Amino acid sequence: MSDFQNVALQLAEAQHSPDWLQSLRERGALSWSSARWPTRKTELWKNTPLQPLQSDMPSRWAAATGTDWQQDIEQIDIDATRLVFVNGQFMAELSSDLPEEIVRFADANVAQRQVIEQKLGTVVDAERHLFAALSNAWVADGILVQVPRNRSLDKPIYVLNVSTPEAEPAVSNQRVLMVLEDGSQAELIEHYVSADSKQNGFVNSLTEVIVGQNAQVQHYRINLEQEDLLHVGGVHVNLHRDARFHGFTLAQGSRLKRIDYQVNHRGEGAHLELHGVYLPRNKQLIDYHTNVEHCVPHCTTNEVFRGIIGDSAKAVFNGRIHIHPQAQKTLAELSNKNLLTSPNAEIYTKPELEIYADDVRCAHGATISQLNETSLFYLQSRGVERAEAISMLSFGFINELLTQVPEQAIQDYLRPRLTTLFGQGSELLGQLDYE
Amino acid sequence: MSQQVENLIKKDYAAGFHSAIESDTLPPGLNEEVVRFISAKKGEPEWLLEWRLKAFRAWQEMEEPTWAHVHYPEIDFQSVSYFSSPKSMADKPKSLDEVDPELIATYEKLGIPLHEQEMLAGVAVDAVFDSVSVVTTFRAKLEEAGVIFCPISEAVHRCPELVQKYLGSVVPQKDNYYAALNSAVFSDGSFVYIPKGVRCPMELSTYFRINEMNTGQFERTLIIADEGSHVSYLEGCTAPMRDENQLHAAVVELVALDGAQIKYSTVQNWYPGDSEGKGGIYNFVTKRGLCHANAKISWTQVETGSAITWKYPSCILKGDNSVGEFYSVALTNNCQQADTGTKMIHLGKNTRSTIIAKGISAGRSNSAYRGLVRMNPGAEGARNFTQCDSLLIGDRCGAHTFPYIESKNPSAVVEHEATTSKVSDDQMFLCQQRGLDAEKAISMIVNGFCREVFKELPMEFAVEAGKLLEVSLEGSVG
Repeated sequence: MSDFQNVALQLAEAQHSPDWLQSLRERGALSWSSARWPTRKTELWKNTPLQPLQSDMPSRWAAATGTDWQQDIEQIDIDATRLVFVNGQFMAELSSDLPEEIVRFADANVAQRQVIEQKLGTVVDAERHLFAALSNAWVADGILVQVPRNRSLDKPIYVLNVSTPEAEPAVSNQRVLMVLEDGSQAELIEHYVSADSKQNGFVNSLTEVIVGQNAQVQHYRINLEQEDLLHVGGVHVNLHRDARFHGFTLAQGSRLKRIDYQVNHRGEGAHLELHGVYLPRNKQLIDYHTNVEHCVPHCTTNEVFRGIIGDSAKAVFNGRIHIHPQAQKTLAELSNKNLLTSPNAEIYTKPELEIYADDVRCAHGATISQLNETSLFYLQSRGVERAEAISMLSFGFINELLTQVPEQAIQDYLRPRLTTLFGQGSELLGQLDYE
Repeated sequence: MSQQVENLIKKDYAAGFHSAIESDTLPPGLNEEVVRFISAKKGEPEWLLEWRLKAFRAWQEMEEPTWAHVHYPEIDFQSVSYFSSPKSMADKPKSLDEVDPELIATYEKLGIPLHEQEMLAGVAVDAVFDSVSVVTTFRAKLEEAGVIFCPISEAVHRCPELVQKYLGSVVPQKDNYYAALNSAVFSDGSFVYIPKGVRCPMELSTYFRINEMNTGQFERTLIIADEGSHVSYLEGCTAPMRDENQLHAAVVELVALDGAQIKYSTVQNWYPGDSEGKGGIYNFVTKRGLCHANAKISWTQVETGSAITWKYPSCILKGDNSVGEFYSVALTNNCQQADTGTKMIHLGKNTRSTIIAKGISAGRSNSAYRGLVRMNPGAEGARNFTQCDSLLIGDRCGAHTFPYIESKNPSAVVEHEATTSKVSDDQMFLCQQRGLDAEKAISMIVNGFCREVFKELPMEFAVEAGKLLEVSLEGSVG
C-alpha cells in the first residue's frame, strides 16, 4: 500500500457516517486497500503520475468555511434548483429549497434510503476504477436525485462545489446518485471551482446515473479549479432501452485532474452524445478517460473531445469504445482533436476500439497540430492582425462544441471566460510566434 | 451463405509438409552452456560470445510481456531446442549442386525453386532452413556491385568490424524479452551491406522455414545501407503442420545511413494451427530500422500465418528529413491472434511517416492494431498520417485498435483515423447485380480493401499475397 492509500483509510475512519452506508464503505475500503498503487506501467495511469498526491499528502478533511469566497466566484446564472457545497459540506443557507425528487443522503427517508442502498455503487466498477473504490470508502453524504416515471423536473439541478483555501492540504468527497425512472427527464449541472490559487487540496468526486427506458438526461460537468487543487472524478452511466444521455464537460486548472466517463449501453436503441473540452496551461495536467461499453444491439455513440494545450501543460485523452459480441448494428464514432500551442506542451492521446461484432460501423479519429497556416494567412490577408487571427481561430476551434450545448446559461457563462482565455497576450496561446 | 463461408474459411495449409532431412538438433533446454555451444558451433569470436552471454543474463532477469491482446498458455522456454541444423550441412556445400536434393525439393514445393529463381526472377535468395542459412544464390553478381549478402554467421568472419559496430545498435540486447532471447541464442540469419551510393542490382530475398519438431527459430537479420544506397529486401516464411506450438523469435535491424533507402517486404505464412487452434507458430518478432538524415525505410508486410503474431516493425526517424513508412495487411482466421502495428519515433526535423494498416478477421480470430506515433521535442515540422481499417467477417471474430499518439512539438502534425466495418450489403448487391457471384464479389472487395498495401509490394510478392487472401476469404460475407 502506498502512503496515500494509508492516509485515505485513516481519513475514512475519522468520518462520521450513517450506519446504513457502512457496508458500502467497508467494501470500498477493502478494494481501495487491496488495489495496487498505479505506476508508470499501469496502463490506465501511464501518463498521469499521481505523484502530486503523494508529495502534498492531504492529511485531514476540509472544513466548511464562511461565505467570503462569494465575491471571487461567479456562479452560473441559471434558474435552477441550487445546491451549494463548500469543501464538501452542504450549505443550506446558500441552497434552494429542495423539491421532493432531490434529497441529501443524510436527510433520506426510508424509501429513499432503500433506493440508495440498492443502487449506490452499482453503476461503477470499483475494481477497475481505483478512485471509485475510494469514493465508496469515503461515502458519508451525497445527493440522490430520483425522478419518477414519466416526470420531468421543473428546473435544472445546479450543484456548485467550492473549495476554499485551507491551512494544510485537505480532502473532500462528493457523491451524486441520479436515478431516472422510465420516460423521465432531468438536467444536472455539476460545477467545480476553487476560490484561491494557493489552494492545497484533493477532491474526489463520483456521479452515478441510471437512465431508465426512454428517459433523457442532460449532464454538464464544468471543472474550473485553480492550479493547486487536485481532482479525480468519475461519471458513470447506465443507459437502458431508448435512453438518451447528452453530456458536456469542460476542464481547466489543476496540477492533476483526472476525469473518467464510463457509459454502459444496457438497452437497445440507447444513444450517447458526449462532448468535451480541455484547456490546460501553466503546469497543469488534465486527463480524460472515457470508456463506452456497447453490450446490446442498435445503440449509438457520438463522442467529440477537443483540447488546446499551452505553456508546459500536459493533456491525456483515452477514448475506448468496446463492442460486445451481441452488440450488432452499433454505430459509434469518436473524434479527438488537439492544438498544441507551446514548445513545452505535451499531449498523449489514445483512441481505442475493441470490437467483437461484425455488423457495426465504428470509427475514430485523432489529430494533433498547431493552427493551420493557410487559415491564418487568409485572415491576415483580410486585414486581421496575426495575434487576433490566432485568438479567433483558437476560439472557433472550441466554440464549435460550445454552440452545440443545449443549455444557453452554460454557453453564456463559458463564452466570456473563453474569450478572456483566448484574448491577446493569453498564456494559453501566447507561446508561439507561428513563423 | 454462412455454410459457404465456413467452407471457404476452412482452407488447408498448403505449405504444411515436413521434409525428411537428417539434422543435428540440440536437446531442448536453455542455459549458458547452450549459448556457448551455439557460439562455438559457429566458431564465433570472443566478443560475440560475451555479447550473447550478456543478453542471456539480461533475459533471465526479464519478465515475459503480457500487455498484448493475445492469450496463450505459458511458454516453457526449457522445452524448446535452440539449435537445429540440417545434417548434410556439416560439410558445407560449395554450390547449389552439392545441396541435399531433398532440401532443394522442399524449396521447390514452397514455390521458391532456387535454380529457376536464379534464372527468371533475378532475385538473390538466402534460404534459412531451421536455424542455418542453407544457400545464398547470385553471390558473384552481387559481389561485383560491392554488395555483401551472406549468412550473418559468415559475416562475423568476413566483415567483423561492420557486424560489431551495428549488431544491437538498433535493437539492443535488453530491448525486450524476446529480443534478449534472440540475442542470446540467434543461430543465423542474413547480413546485407550496400556500399556508398550503390543501388543494389537486384532484389534480395530470404526464405525461412522451420522444419524440425520442437525447435525454435531465432534468426537475426542485419541490413546496413551506406550513404546514398538503395536496397529492396524480401522475406518469406513457412513451417510444417504440427500439433505443438513452435516458437519463432526473430530480430531484424535496419540501418539506413544518410540518404539511403531500404524497402523491407514480408509475406509471413507460418503455420497458423488447425481450425481448433491446435498447434501453430508463435511469432514474436522485433523489427526496427534507424533512419539517418534524408534516409527512408519502408516496411511492407502481409501477415496471414502464425497462431500468434506479436510484431511491431518500427522506424526511428533520427536524421532530419527522414521518412518512415509502414504498410500492413494482417489476416487472421480460425483461432489465430494477431497483435501487430508499428512505432514511428520522430526525433529529427521535418521527418515524415505514413502508416496504412489493414486488418481482416474471420472465424474466431482476433486481430489488433497497436501503434505508437511519438513526436519528440526536436521533431520540428514533422508529419504523420495513420490510417487503420478493419474488416470483420463472421460474428465471432474481433478487431481492435490501440493507437498511442504522443506529441511534444507544436509544429508537428499527427493525423490518425480508424474505421471498422463489414463488407456492406450495398457493395455486395452492386457487384452481384452486375453478374459477379458472391465469391468473386468478396474477393474483389477484399482485394480493393488491401490495394493500398499490395501496391507497395514487389511484383512477385504482390501476386502471392493476393492469392493467399483470395483462397481464404472468397465469398465469406453475404
